[in-house]
Formats: sequence, C-alpha cells, structure tokens
Amino acid sequence: MTNASGEPLLALTGVNTFYGQAQVHFDLSISVARGHIVCLLGGNASGKSTTMKIILGLVKPRSGEVSFDGASLLGLSTPQIVRRGIASVPEARRLFADMSVRENILMGAFVRNDRDAVAQDLDKMLTLFPKLGQRLSQRAGSLSGGEQQMVAMARALMSRPRMIVMDEPTMGLSPLYVDRVLELIRTINQEGVSVFMVEQNASLALEIAHEAYVLQTGKIVLSGPARALKDDPRIRDAYLGGSEAA
Amino acid sequence: MAGASASAASHSLAPWGHRVSSWLDYTINGLIVGNVYALVAVGLALIFGVSRLINFAQGSIYLVGAYIGWVAVVQLHTPLPLTIIVVAVAAAVVGLIIERFGLRPLQNSVRIAPLLATIGISFVLDQLVMLTFSPNPRALPSQLPDVRFQVGGGTIGPLDLLIAGVGLTSALLLFAFLRYSKLGWAVRATAQDRDAAMQMGVDVNRVNQAVFGIAAALGGVSGMLVGMYYNQIDTAMSLQATLKGVVAEVVGGAGNVPGAVIGSLLLGLVESYGVAVFGTSYRNLFAFLLLVVVLVLRPNGLFASARQAPPEPLTGTFIAPSRPVRIPRWALAVAAGGFAVLPFFPVSFYVLQTLINAWLLGMLALSLTLVAGTIGQVSLGHAALLAIGAYSSALLSLTFSVPVGLAIIGGGLMSAALGTALISPSFRLRGHYVSIATLAIGEIVSLVILNWESVTRGPIGISGIPPLSLFGYDLISPPSIYWFSFAVMVVLALLQARLLTSHLGRSFRAIRDDDVAARAYGLSLNRYKSLAFIFGGFAAGVSGGIAAHLYSYINHETFNTQQSILALTVVILGGLGNVVGAILGSVALVGLPEVFRIAAEYRILIYGIVLLLLVRFRPQGLLGTI
Repeated sequence: MTNASGEPLLALTGVNTFYGQAQVHFDLSISVARGHIVCLLGGNASGKSTTMKIILGLVKPRSGEVSFDGASLLGLSTPQIVRRGIASVPEARRLFADMSVRENILMGAFVRNDRDAVAQDLDKMLTLFPKLGQRLSQRAGSLSGGEQQMVAMARALMSRPRMIVMDEPTMGLSPLYVDRVLELIRTINQEGVSVFMVEQNASLALEIAHEAYVLQTGKIVLSGPARALKDDPRIRDAYLGGSEAA
Repeated sequence: MAGASASAASHSLAPWGHRVSSWLDYTINGLIVGNVYALVAVGLALIFGVSRLINFAQGSIYLVGAYIGWVAVVQLHTPLPLTIIVVAVAAAVVGLIIERFGLRPLQNSVRIAPLLATIGISFVLDQLVMLTFSPNPRALPSQLPDVRFQVGGGTIGPLDLLIAGVGLTSALLLFAFLRYSKLGWAVRATAQDRDAAMQMGVDVNRVNQAVFGIAAALGGVSGMLVGMYYNQIDTAMSLQATLKGVVAEVVGGAGNVPGAVIGSLLLGLVESYGVAVFGTSYRNLFAFLLLVVVLVLRPNGLFASARQAPPEPLTGTFIAPSRPVRIPRWALAVAAGGFAVLPFFPVSFYVLQTLINAWLLGMLALSLTLVAGTIGQVSLGHAALLAIGAYSSALLSLTFSVPVGLAIIGGGLMSAALGTALISPSFRLRGHYVSIATLAIGEIVSLVILNWESVTRGPIGISGIPPLSLFGYDLISPPSIYWFSFAVMVVLALLQARLLTSHLGRSFRAIRDDDVAARAYGLSLNRYKSLAFIFGGFAAGVSGGIAAHLYSYINHETFNTQQSILALTVVILGGLGNVVGAILGSVALVGLPEVFRIAAEYRILIYGIVLLLLVRFRPQGLLGTI
C-alpha cells in the first residue's frame, strides 16, 4: 500500500481490536507514507475513530502491530506517543474550554522545553491563523466552531509533530470553514507534516488526500490512490453501506 | 472517619466563650473558620477537578496533620515555621502514598471503586492514628503569645492572623502554580478534558500525584491550625473535616477551586451567625442544611455556569456488573433451618448475642443493598433510618404505651415515610451527589434528634425503653430474642427476594443501569426511587426499632456514620443488590471478628482493610451483584 518510496512513517499491520466481546477491527492494515495525506473513510460505527484511538494509544489492540518511524507504538502511553512526534486534532476539537485561546495553543507545546522557539512558533501560528490574533485572551469555549477548529489545528502544530492525526476535522463546520480547513491541511502537509485523517465526507477528503482507505464494519474494503478512488463507483456503495462491497 | 463522634460535637461546637461579644467577632470567627475549611475544600476541589472523585480521606489527612503537628510541637519542640513545613511535607507524603497505592490501581475500575477506596483509606488512617495516640484528646499549644488586639468592636489574636495569613498565602501560591507553572497548566487542562490533555503529552498520573500532594499538604496544615485554634485535637476531627470540606466544595461547585474558597468562607459565616442566633449545637445543622439546599436547587454549585454539563455520567457505569453466584434453594433452606435450631444446641449466649447483632445488621444491609445495589443510590447515611425507627418505636411504646410489637412496626413505617420524604428532594441527583446528599441527611437527622429536646430528650437520650415483647410475652432470654430477630430478618429477606424477581425489581435495575433509557421507556424515576426507599426504610426502621428495645437506652449517637459505612461494607462484601449476600456479609463482618476474638479497637481497622481489598480485587463482592 506504500505508493511513496521507502518505509512508511506509520504502519498498522493486522490489527484486531475488541470492545469487550465485540470485534471492532478485523485484520486492519493501513500505512501512511512520509509526507503524505492519508484519509480513512467510512460511515458511522465503521471503526474509524477507534483507529485514531489505536494510533494514539488510547485503546490497545488485541493483536497486530502499530509502528511509527520503524519503532513499535504498542505498550507506549499516549503522552509517550505524543513525544514520538504524533499530534492530534480530536473529534469535536476538544479544546480546554475554560482556558484562553493562547493557553490552549501553548498546551500543544507541552512536550517541548525550548521556550524561545515555542514563542516563535506561537507567532507563526498567528500568521497561519490570522483570525486567532484578536482572540488570544478569550475563553476557548466562547469561540465559534470554525474558530475552535483553527485553535485545535494550531495546538496540534505547536508540538512540531512529524504527523498529525485528525478525527473528522470538517464535522459541524459551515461550508466556508470546511474549505478553509482543507486548504490549511494542505498547507500544513506542504511544510512536511504527514497527515492521517478520518472523515465521513468522502468527496472533500479525496480532494486533498494522496491515498485513501475505506473502512466498513471494521474491515478495509477499498484502498488506493485518492485520484483513482474519487471516480470509483464502489466508493458510493461502500459509503452508503452496500452489503456486497465486502 | 471512624470514631464515635462523642467528642465531635463538643469539639467543633466549642464556643468562643468569653471572647465572643459582638457581630464583628462573629464575622471574624466565621472568616477564620472559613479559612480553615477552605484549606480542606480547595484540596477536594482540585482532586474532584482532575479525577471526578470526592476524596473521603481528606479529613483523615487533616487528622494526620494535626497529630504530626502535635509530635513536632510537644515532643520535638520545633519552632512554628518549621512545624508548618514539617506538617505540610509529611501530609503530602501521606497524600502521595494514598494516590499511588490506594487509587492509581483503580483507574480502570468502576466509578464507585475509588469513592469506596477513599472511605476505606479514611477508616484505616483514622484507626491507625487512634491506635498510635489513643482516642483521648490532646492539647496542641500554638506557641504564639495569647494576646488580643481591639479592632473596631471586636478582637483579633495572633493565631487568627496566622490562620488568615496561611490561607491567603496558600491561595496565592496555588493561583500562581495553576496560572504560571507547566504542571499547573497540566492540572487545569486535565480537569477540563482528560483525554485531550493526554493527547497534548500530559502524564495524567503525574497530575494526579501533584494534586494529591498539594491537597494533602493543605489539609494537613489545616488540621494543625484547627488543633492550635481550639488547643485540642482528637480522632473525631476527621469525619467533621471531611463533611465540612465536602459541604464547602459542593456549595462552591464541585471541582471549582475559587468556588471552594468562597463556599468555605460562606459556610464559615453561615455557621458563625447561626451560632450567634441559635446557639452552638446548631452549628453543624446549618452547614448540612446549606448543603442540601444547594444540592437540590443548584447541584453544580452556586457559581456554576448554565452551560456546564452535569458532572456525573450515567449510573450504569457506577456499579460493577457481574454474574451472581446462584445458591440452590435447598442449601439456603438448610442454612436457614440450621440457624433456626441453633439455640437448641449447647451454644453460649455469647454466640447467640453475636448472631442477634448480625441479624440486626442484616436487616440494615437488606435495606441498603436494595437502595444502593438494586436501584443504584449509594447511601452513606443509612444509619439515620435506624435512628428514626428506633426513636419512633421507643417513643410510641414509652409515651403512648403502644405494645412493643406494634411499636416496632410503627418505627418501620415512620422510617419508611420520613426517610423517603427527606431523601425525595435529592432524587434528581446522581452518583457521587446521591452519596453526599444521603450523608448530609444522615447528619441532619442526628442533629435534629440532638436539638429537638421536647420530643427526643436531646443529648440525654431515651432510657428505660421497654424490652422486646410479643403478644404480651416479654422476650428476655437470648434464645427468644435470637428467634425473633432471625424470623423478622428472614421474612424481610423473602419479601425482598420476591420483589427483585418481580416487574418492580426489573424496573429498579433498569433505573440503576441507565436512568435516561429507563425514563425514555416511561419509567418515573421519582416513583420507583420512592418505592425503593419506602421498602428499604421499613426494613432499616424495624432493625432500629428492635435495637432500641434490646438496648433499652438510645441517644443521638447510637446510630452513627460508622454504622452507615459498616452497612455499606457488608453490602459490598456480599455483592450489591444481593439479598443472600447482604446476610452473609453481616454474619461475616459481625461474626468473624468475634470468632477470632479481635479487640474492638482493631475491628474498624479490619473493616477498612476489607473494604480496600474488596474494591481492589473483588468489586462485585463474594456472591456477585444482581
């Protein structure tokens, strides 16, 4: 599945995940090449968000391997995984609502100890997300959904990650912000950060992604270069939950 | 939390005596006492913020702080600044140990587990202090000159200034820590969204550690200051401190640190003015009334914003699910038969006496296992139902000459009616909040009994209660009392077992497992919770009634919080909701210490350890939850 040259940055191999008795992932294998945007598509309850949680160490798979930059992530705690260079933009943004926008963005740099460079990065975020400049001392919870998404992305970037995982970054946003967010993901990616995103909105995600996987009830039913998948009629079937797709 | 509150009343109610002369004095008092509460409440708020846990061991750390202060001052003769540092550091170490070994192993267990663990820890700590230092009060001199300065119409002393100074300094340090340090940011972030904080690289265990350390240091210093203020420390301080801290914290809004400070000062003032108007024995009554009013009207605290989500998840995640152990009917029948014929064998009256206590505790446990286990309302004030039943039955037989058998039934009915009426305003609360509300109501019942002298004879208690009798025959011999109490318990147990298999029992469990879903299916929560409390109140009231006639003397401390917690331990030992388990647990916890001849002062320690071990290794109890 690695279209790019060399070893993938992130690789999930043969992952099986259970919630109690219920199996969520069946032999799941996904890889993210260095410098690529990879998108995981799927409907409700297909296991998309659980995939995010597996990468971040919030849920442990029963079997299989998860590796980042050649080293296994299994057995590491979430903070340790973050220190390896993976940042997240969680579902529904999950800002620290009662902390200021400034504090939220700086929380992203929690794992760093280089104060001066962090201050410079904060300035950089304000050029990337100019709107946040006027909001810095405001409670994060008082921002609009779109603005919160900007904060969440800035927060993730502050750790200088090698990869960002995003859970439905466009969910609940106005169309204007949806375009803006997609554009920003592309910008972030062009600066060298790999992106793994989970999305429901297939057509939008496929526009910016390099590769895509389609997940259905815990199994990968379709994968390949985004350009190819965009015109694939099976995408629609899989998407709408057509049973023959498996 | 252990220790009969014999001296608690006199201790925390200690009047300011000759000093108090003006409203300004009462205001100063209120603020000083509020300062002390704040040191406890802020710790509770930090812990609740980070781990959504009400730390019932906070008062025990306060107790430990007071005794470490005593050792430093009286035995080591340390100067005051050094005493404060020694107490803060030693208490912080205790806090860290509690977090590391008591609570961290429970991170992935059901939500009731850490709550029960803190109760167990408080039993163990209190008891260790009592065994080390004896339960007798000790003097803790403040080492400060005993002078008073005239300020306006009131007076203020060096100790007042010290307490105010410590309070203010702690608040500023805490503010600076939360606002400017990296770890402080991590604490705030974790409090607002634990998962998101972890995804920023925050090590949540370190945050927990920091918070427990800080809370313990503040609590310990608070205990020392109180000891100096009254120049007296004793082991009953612990429960009082936990209760006051919880009141202040909930009034300020659980998890809200500045709210906890304001709530504490408010509580201090309310108590001080209450004492000024009504007298010292009303101090605690005002505290708990304030709590109940806030819980009912503004459960998220006085300062909570409307957008704040209710801080409790569904109750279904609160209790450990499990498959109950099925005991065949014939085995139960054989066991019951065996116990029924026991007095025909040459057993000592001592054994019968022990088992009578077990049957009485069994009735209370039946009641609590229904309320806490079957319908999921974990009550920490269940002894109040005993008290209501006991006083009603005693007064019916003494004042109105009602035959004892009828009076006991009257006690049960009274307990059912009054208990349900008292708890009903709290029906909309969930999880931890139910526990706090029941704890407060338990205290209120005991304080009303203490203060309503015209009916309850106040602190003197009721003596000369007629002995048990049935149809005109006095039950005086141990075998007859044994048979009577055993029979009553068996009848209650059979009724409850029948109830559990009925439609009503299923509805109860549906509410426990998911009250939103239950409501969506048209179940009225209030009605079912009322029915559970009516049935449970009756069983507990009958137990209290029998106890009253058995003891022939009762007062407002006969049925105390310690009994509530013992009943809860019994219920968890047997398995929440499990009828047979409740009885088995009673026999085990009352009987085994007798069999092994364990001295009374070690028993509470053992109950605490049993609770801790159960929570850690078998949260579903011996026979499993139903």
